[in-house]
Amino acid sequence: MRILVSWLIRAQFRSRRTATLLSMLAIALGVALGYSIHLINEAALADFSRAMKTVQGEPDAVIAARDSAGSVPLQRLDEISRDPEVLVAAPVIETRVRIGSLRTPFRLIGIDVFSAAAMMPGLLPRESERPDRVGILDGGIHASPALLAELGVQAGASLTLLRGDRRWSATIAGDVPAAGPDDLLLVADIAWVQEHFGPPDAVSEIRVRLAPDTDAAGWRTRVAALLPPGLLLRVAADDSERASNLSRAYRVNLNVLALVALLTGAFLVFATQLTAVAQRSTEFALLGVLGLPPRMRLLQVLLEGLAIGLPGALLGLGLGYALALAFTQLLGADLGGGYFSGSAPVIVPQVAPACGFLLLGCAASLAGAAYPAYLNLRQPLVEALSNGFSARPQVVRNRRRQLVLPLSLSLLAGALLQLPALFGLPLAAYAAIALVLLIGIAGAPLVTQQVFRWVADWQLPAPQRIALQNVAQAPLMAQVAAAGLIVSFALTASMVIMVSSFRVAVDHWLDHVLPAPLYVRSKASPLPQDLLTALDGADTPFVRVERSAHGALTLDPQRPPVALLVREIERSNPAARLPFSGALIAPPADLPVVWISEATHEIYRMAPGQTLRLPLLGREVEVFVGGVWRDYARQFGALVISRDDYQRLGGDFRPSDLALWPRPGQEAAAGEWLAPHALAHGLEVAESAAIRQLSLSIFDKSFAVTYALEAAAMLIGVFGLAVTLTASVWLRARELATLAALGFDRRMLRRALMLEGALIAIVGLLIGLVCGIAIGAVLTHVVNPQAFHWRMPLTVPWLTLLAGAAATLLAAVFASQQAARQATRLPLAQVLASSQ
Amino acid sequence: MLRVSGLARRHREASRALFTDLGFAIAAGEIVALVGESGIGKSTLLNCIAGLDTPDRGSIEIGAPAVDIVRLGEAARAALRARNIGFVFQAFHVLPTLTVAQNIGVPLLLAGVPPAEHASRTQTLLTRVGLPGFGDRWPASLSGGELQRVAIARALVHRPGLILADEPTGNLDPRTASQVLALLLERVRDQQASALIVTHSQHVAESCDRILTLTPQGLQ
Repeated sequence: MRILVSWLIRAQFRSRRTATLLSMLAIALGVALGYSIHLINEAALADFSRAMKTVQGEPDAVIAARDSAGSVPLQRLDEISRDPEVLVAAPVIETRVRIGSLRTPFRLIGIDVFSAAAMMPGLLPRESERPDRVGILDGGIHASPALLAELGVQAGASLTLLRGDRRWSATIAGDVPAAGPDDLLLVADIAWVQEHFGPPDAVSEIRVRLAPDTDAAGWRTRVAALLPPGLLLRVAADDSERASNLSRAYRVNLNVLALVALLTGAFLVFATQLTAVAQRSTEFALLGVLGLPPRMRLLQVLLEGLAIGLPGALLGLGLGYALALAFTQLLGADLGGGYFSGSAPVIVPQVAPACGFLLLGCAASLAGAAYPAYLNLRQPLVEALSNGFSARPQVVRNRRRQLVLPLSLSLLAGALLQLPALFGLPLAAYAAIALVLLIGIAGAPLVTQQVFRWVADWQLPAPQRIALQNVAQAPLMAQVAAAGLIVSFALTASMVIMVSSFRVAVDHWLDHVLPAPLYVRSKASPLPQDLLTALDGADTPFVRVERSAHGALTLDPQRPPVALLVREIERSNPAARLPFSGALIAPPADLPVVWISEATHEIYRMAPGQTLRLPLLGREVEVFVGGVWRDYARQFGALVISRDDYQRLGGDFRPSDLALWPRPGQEAAAGEWLAPHALAHGLEVAESAAIRQLSLSIFDKSFAVTYALEAAAMLIGVFGLAVTLTASVWLRARELATLAALGFDRRMLRRALMLEGALIAIVGLLIGLVCGIAIGAVLTHVVNPQAFHWRMPLTVPWLTLLAGAAATLLAAVFASQQAARQATRLPLAQVLASSQ
Repeated sequence: MLRVSGLARRHREASRALFTDLGFAIAAGEIVALVGESGIGKSTLLNCIAGLDTPDRGSIEIGAPAVDIVRLGEAARAALRARNIGFVFQAFHVLPTLTVAQNIGVPLLLAGVPPAEHASRTQTLLTRVGLPGFGDRWPASLSGGELQRVAIARALVHRPGLILADEPTGNLDPRTASQVLALLLERVRDQQASALIVTHSQHVAESCDRILTLTPQGLQ
């Protein structure tokens, strides 16, 4: 039997080379995208983890401040060090400094070499062998090999370190040999760093190694309970979890896109196998008559599907690896998502995920072949042997019954959309999207029959009438062709709608958050005092200046910190500066007020009108939540507090950003006024138009991968139409020959078939458009808020969609023309003779 | 050997009886023609014997020891056809995607004949039907008469006990039809198989050992 199976598979590939190859490629594309996204992400996370290990070692616990402006008092270090269960307590001070004229700040890590030797061997410095060397304990600093290469200097060289207005001269005493090839950092003695950069009597973190046989979990619980509200205790697993959470939703979304490619691949296998079954129904019937067991008629089609899926999936794995290499070069390790900037991961093929994606590709292919295999099993042998494939016209006998399936699926989809995110992911919404596609396909015959049955009664020339009647009867092949276009156009239209809605929303949001014409930012540290003092003078070319400071608050150690923005904003009128998405609630006069972003509102379940206790300035502070504002920049949440409230709480307002309004006509003078400050302190100066352009270009880059998938989906849809139309010509050879005998010339046959193809395409595109708008609405109103906490109004880009539909229709007409040409090449007399 | 007893079958859609109590037997080595008007039920009877259609009543015993195909499930019927029955059709039904030799080899694969025997049996049959050297040719390059010779070789290659032929010369010109008929009868007799040939041709019917005529009243 195996020999017969292989003969039939080879025969199938020989006679349907193009369709089989394209089905394989479609499966390969889905597997390749999924596998490459997985490889890139794993590599990025592994790289992140390695970098963390180098800098942090492998401590049993880390004690740090929740507020990025805060620190851990030295007194706490003494207490921890004295704990009998603690083997080593390593203090660390970490800050950022600029070097010379370079604008980019670098990490400066102050360590205690003795405790670091036990805790963080990756940070241990190696002294230079130069006779004039300066040791680390003498104030020498050590640079990682990558930083030495970046700066183009060697041990013994002198560096100027800058932070704010202040500058220090330091000598490179050696390197940090265990640092990774991408780690750009400086290491110095903790006392030296504390003396020059602060904080006094405090450190950034304490990294703890516990004595052997200590109940680590118990110790952590006990110590965490003793810590003041401004401090937190975290473990290495929290850092990994945080890194994973950082890009989780983005990855899942990309993987769903890969599944969409697989789904369209499965559909192409479906179209190819269904036409193959239809074309070979007589052959299968003959084999059945000769004694081929019924289950083999089922298995044969499934095996042929697998014979497409397996090589397709294998090709996809190779392609996926190549894509992973190419994507990291072109888009970076984060595929344009902006989560792992700076890391340059090494892509390593992985066996277990490869097997998983291989199985997924095979499963998609088998799923595509399942219905054709079932139809093949159900073909009546005697009838198929005499008359070929049995695809009887679907006549609407009971419209109510036909409505049951689409209506039930609609209700189920509606119910799924009411569910919240599961495991932080919009899984129910994804299931609802699959249901919308099913509703479109299930409803297609009803729509087709209702629309065209009515039109088919019109007085039209014979070719048009025949075409309309044929579509009105919605035979199986017409349904298959329309279903392909429904799926591909719905997915494409939904992605276009979602991206367009998002882009329009970001554009409007930028209008609101960039009110000033000019912005200044200091990356490394607070803005220099001389600039701030100069701006307070009367002779500046600015009519208005607004200052803001940025920090971070860790509310949950397993999540990325929430941004804390301290802004010169009026408590009574925050809407002048923030794009609120809901009602504003006036705060009580005696409480400081914070305005939270939509992400903070959804992740931490904070709501306007609540009074919260936040770990601010090293203690728990009671604040009032005044409202929720829209923020597309910080996916993991943000809080805004007014400068006045922050200072009233005892905070030191040290601005890092400026929004500047030049006096009318003095725009050029404003630039000239800022230039020396920018040069001296490595400040970034940008016009709002440039920031807007940069933001939108980053947006476009992060969605670049979706455009490629949209194009692939449409190509697959049109190809599916071409395959099924061509097959239907062969299947209807007798019908066409009879029409010819009755007086249709070849031109009339061609016209009828072309019109039929165009009508099927119109039905597919119309239903696809409706489904696409529904899926677009689900992506915009459910998936985006649940996955990324981004909310936005739905924007349907009608012009783009109609242009896409028109282009697809043209392609479909072209495909129909090819099928119609096949009809004109049919040996009509021979067909008629053989069917007698 | 074939024994049909008390066979009844109604027309599924017209709801009238096609035959009510048919009974006949064909001995090993005997060739019987089945004639009758169009629509009388000849093909339905043939399909019932092949296990492709199910009678309402009666039994159809095939081979020795006899197996009642009516009482078998679908898979067992397929297995019985694969081992014991050879088919020749009016429309040839040669698989266009397989070579001539592969077409003839299909029943050997289905009947579980050891692969080592395939080549020699196929070559022998090709020679016997007058197509030596045609093994690697594709069906599209063959004439109607050649295609029916391939179909006869395919029907006999696994040495079935029963040959069922439905209008085997219906698509051929008179000269080719005579040649193909002579070949079919000769090979069936060679193998001592039983054969039931459905035909409208007086010439074909008269060439057989016995003629059964199906009428509305039954077999005559």
